[in-house]
Amino acid sequence: MTTIRRFCCNDLLRFASVNLDHLTETFNMSFYMTYLARWPDYFRVAVAPGNHIMGYIMGKVEGQGESWHGHVTAVTVASQYRRQQLAKKLMHLLENISDKMDKAYFVDLFVRASNMPAIKMYEKLGYVIYRRVLHYYSGEEDGLDMRKALSRDVDKKSIIPLKRPITPDELEYD
Amino acid sequence: MAARFGLAGGIPERRVRPIWDAIDSRQFKASLKLANGLLAKYPTSPYALALKALILERMGKPEEALGICLEAKELLHSNNSVHVDYLTLSTLQIVFQRLDHLELATLCYEHACVKYPNNLEIMIGLFNCYVRECSYVKQQQLAMKMYKLVGEERFLLWAVCSIQLQVHCSSTSQKLLQLAEALMKKHMASNSLHDPEALVLYLSLLEQQEKFDAAVEVLSGDLGSLIGIQEDKLRIQGRLLARACNYSAATEIFERVLVSCPDDWEVFLCYLGCLLEDDLNWLKMDATMQICSPSFDDNGACKANHLSNDEFNSRISSAVSLVQRLQTDCNGGFVRGAFLANIEIERRCRLCGTKHDDNFVEALLTYFYRFGHLSCFASDVENFLHLLTLEEKDKFLEKLMKTLESPPASPLKALDQAISIFKVHESLGVMFSLPLTDLEVTTKRMLQMYCKNLTLSKDLDPQENMHGEELLSMISNILVVLFWRTRILGYLLEAIMVLEYGLTIRRYVWQYKIQLVHLYSLLGALPLAYEWYCMLEVKNILVETVSHHILPQMLNSPLWSETGDLLSDYLKFMDDHLRESADLTSVAYRHRNYSKVIEFVQFKERLGHSSRLLTARLDVPILQLKQKANSLEEVECIFENLNCGSKLLEMSNEDKMKILTFNEDFHARPWWSPTPNINYLADNFEEGFPWLKEKLNKKKKAVEEEGIVKKLIERKSLLPRLIYLSIQISPISLKGNVGNGSLHDADAIKEIKSLLEKYARNIGLSFDDAMSLLLAIFKGQKPLKDLGPDIISWLNFTVFVNAWNLCCHQLESPRKDSSMNSWSVVDYMLRSCISEQLTHPETVLAVPGSNLPVLVQLVAEPLAWHILVIQSCIRSMLPAGKKKKKTGLVDSLNSSYAHAVCDSVQCLISVLQDIGKWVSNQIRKSEDQDVDRLLSHLQRSSSQEELGSILSILEASESMSVSEVGERISAALQSWSAATVCRKISAAQHSLLSQFLSICESKLKLLYSINKSI
Repeated sequence: MTTIRRFCCNDLLRFASVNLDHLTETFNMSFYMTYLARWPDYFRVAVAPGNHIMGYIMGKVEGQGESWHGHVTAVTVASQYRRQQLAKKLMHLLENISDKMDKAYFVDLFVRASNMPAIKMYEKLGYVIYRRVLHYYSGEEDGLDMRKALSRDVDKKSIIPLKRPITPDELEYD
Repeated sequence: MAARFGLAGGIPERRVRPIWDAIDSRQFKASLKLANGLLAKYPTSPYALALKALILERMGKPEEALGICLEAKELLHSNNSVHVDYLTLSTLQIVFQRLDHLELATLCYEHACVKYPNNLEIMIGLFNCYVRECSYVKQQQLAMKMYKLVGEERFLLWAVCSIQLQVHCSSTSQKLLQLAEALMKKHMASNSLHDPEALVLYLSLLEQQEKFDAAVEVLSGDLGSLIGIQEDKLRIQGRLLARACNYSAATEIFERVLVSCPDDWEVFLCYLGCLLEDDLNWLKMDATMQICSPSFDDNGACKANHLSNDEFNSRISSAVSLVQRLQTDCNGGFVRGAFLANIEIERRCRLCGTKHDDNFVEALLTYFYRFGHLSCFASDVENFLHLLTLEEKDKFLEKLMKTLESPPASPLKALDQAISIFKVHESLGVMFSLPLTDLEVTTKRMLQMYCKNLTLSKDLDPQENMHGEELLSMISNILVVLFWRTRILGYLLEAIMVLEYGLTIRRYVWQYKIQLVHLYSLLGALPLAYEWYCMLEVKNILVETVSHHILPQMLNSPLWSETGDLLSDYLKFMDDHLRESADLTSVAYRHRNYSKVIEFVQFKERLGHSSRLLTARLDVPILQLKQKANSLEEVECIFENLNCGSKLLEMSNEDKMKILTFNEDFHARPWWSPTPNINYLADNFEEGFPWLKEKLNKKKKAVEEEGIVKKLIERKSLLPRLIYLSIQISPISLKGNVGNGSLHDADAIKEIKSLLEKYARNIGLSFDDAMSLLLAIFKGQKPLKDLGPDIISWLNFTVFVNAWNLCCHQLESPRKDSSMNSWSVVDYMLRSCISEQLTHPETVLAVPGSNLPVLVQLVAEPLAWHILVIQSCIRSMLPAGKKKKKTGLVDSLNSSYAHAVCDSVQCLISVLQDIGKWVSNQIRKSEDQDVDRLLSHLQRSSSQEELGSILSILEASESMSVSEVGERISAALQSWSAATVCRKISAAQHSLLSQFLSICESKLKLLYSINKSI
């Protein structure tokens, strides 16, 4: 029972059961609202009967030239609704919007290098590790920049892995 | 950044850049030095002044910053030759905003707009100022001006948004929408529309005016292609058609959405609603509102369907065939919607009495067979379960239990299915009616099931949810039921042990943590509850929705400093949001997301009117007063900053109460406390399931909670002013000539009387009735329990009545020497209420939900306020010079007051000594003794010896080998110990009691010194 619709402010008041999860960050308000104000189609929520929030995805589209890409900032599913491929559904939606509506070249995301379950899931969804970002998470843990090419990147140039790791300063976008 | 560095007020960029660099790297001293240098060279540059002001504000010097900003503003206005540009204005605006002077920034921009009438950049800056100030009319006018100036679509849409905001937020007449529509129509005729959001805005204009057909026409035309996601377009179209009562067309559209999104439950409900032509109230959300969720309850009111039986049956058949098609299309996988649809269809048939009731239970069972192994099964069907009759419930449960006899081959699936069955039991409240022994056996079997299945989680990453995790939550819930039904403390401790055990194995389970927060609060181990709450890392918006798990208990506890931290974190979050929100609205304008503009403004209003926020704004000063209540002078200082409490009074006015919002998320609360003001465990368990169903109706309880919260807010808003007036008017009485007192004094007396009348009404009686009740209790004609559960409010009332009576003498008997005066009423009430709390011979450890919070509040509130009244009286009785003389008060003023004050002091000393003794007795025992006693509750004999105790099952699991459960789980099992948990509980209880003791001791010390001075 997955009604997927745009995330709205009122959902912030009902997503506790998703966000109390230790791996889900609760950002400050301006962070959420900037995403809503700038990329409302990239911020989607899945709702179950009784208006229970099952999970959500937030992302954006940015970059120039061949770096024009969709970015997954967060994707999370409440424990009750896990193991039902909901994250996959949400990811597909964002990829679809990046591909069809915004004609982006690829979609990327960052993940903690230690978060094996998530890395495996992204790999299953077709993402490859493009590069390692040293000390990306609070200057401590490394992050992996994972990418999936979209139809516009015919030769899949955007996902050829970088040979060396980079530092956060070298990142093109925040 | 580069935009910042144009020529600002004629200052070259190279001079400005180092200042910004220093600011950005937070080197404020260095930047101030540079700014001063800049000012020396450009003394009349508003930009240089603005920079300096910005630095001073960041350095925490708001007054100096404001002075300099005002200087810059003055220059802008008075000096025609001075250079004004966007950079100067925006810098000034930042500082004015941080100083809470939005209006001054607006004035600067308005002036600049007059000076440079066609400067678009400055006009946009002014528009943003109006956005921050919520000046919708001015926004509209300015946006139109910009539209006329450059003809850009976005400015027209800014104007239209501003009009919608006037209608939504300022109750302006809907007629204004016609104007907006006409403006857009004219623009579209010549320019069409190019932005999906522009189209959505236009549709919402039409929808709000109920021009549904027109809206459908626009959406079906060329413009419809602007909406990129086809399903989104169809959803809007379906809703518009339904609102236009064109049900058959709407049904068709919703059907199309379902074919491409078979799992969309909301759309299925829309489809069925239109097909059966229900009352479609839920559709009255306009297009800008992204949520159009038909809730189950709203949509369930189709009992009186106007369709003929045949027609109804034929439509149901078409729904059935659609659902079958959807099911075939998505066979396999996780598409639940199309299967849950069967149950909904059966529900509708049942409501209309057209089909046999058995079908409903059958539909539920079919859904179970298919999705019973999913964790969300129970919540999917929860609303349906509540529609079952008692007989149906038995039948359904019986069939579910049968499936346990032949479980699925996969152990994981079998476990998950069993969990779903337990959840259904929980949801149906079976645990309230099952015999105690059965219940006990069930818990133990569940626990064994959990332990046995630990092997399934052997290879899981520690970040992942373990299999069977939900079992422990449910076991804990049942153990609390057992406690409620038997009052055996052991069950409660077992409930804690089970959760602690689960957290030892995997420390991330927030559901366990929340349950522990409540159980530890109940058990008087609040510091431990607070510790677990902190581990939940509740921050940002979650403080609004989740802090109810801990704040109410903390406010009634002696943990003042931690409570202060919680409140200040919360207020900081809310204030930051309320300040920044408009800037984000500006971002939405800039990025042409007009639906978000309206949403942001409404959301800001929603948070601004939050009941939690209002309560916190009252809790902060009340907490300060509690903390400083031992010093009259410090309390008076607090009142200086509170406008003597008058401002707080306004917080509970009728208008504010009407628009109050309730944003808490109560879902995760334990069954026994569905809202912060309800604790079923405080009352005895009563048999009878229907009664329980009523009692545990969460939705109803949430509505009741709203009423309670409103009353609470009113009481809290009255409290500070009542305290203030009490300490002000007490001395008036001692002047002995109230009749000739100043007008000011008379006003104060009049005011306190009127506030007392309000307070009495709030606690349920008229002022006169409240007084009669107090006097009747005082005279022994009525028992103390007639006051009801809220004795704190009653005692506060008594204390303030005494202060008021000092001037009015309404409570005194004709014989002045009689004990019948308001002082003795206060003394009597305090003494009686406190000694009643102390009569329980049991220790806190043995009485969950003990009287400790009540005792703490009695001391921290009425008793503390009464001491303030006493201090105030004494201060006025003793002229400054006499304070140190040996002759005491009684000698110098042989008044009945003096005696009454002395008696009261003696009374307070005596009750505080009693409390001190009681608390000391509680903490006298060593931690080891406590641990032994707690453990003995866990090792009690059980009627089901063969299963062993909960503790023994937990301990037996320690022997599971590494090969069975893996290294991580095995190590966790080894490290778990019940004694450690008991020790933590004991330490937390001791810490809480010690803090309370020190509060009592500080008050005693104060009273001894007062006693000495008189």
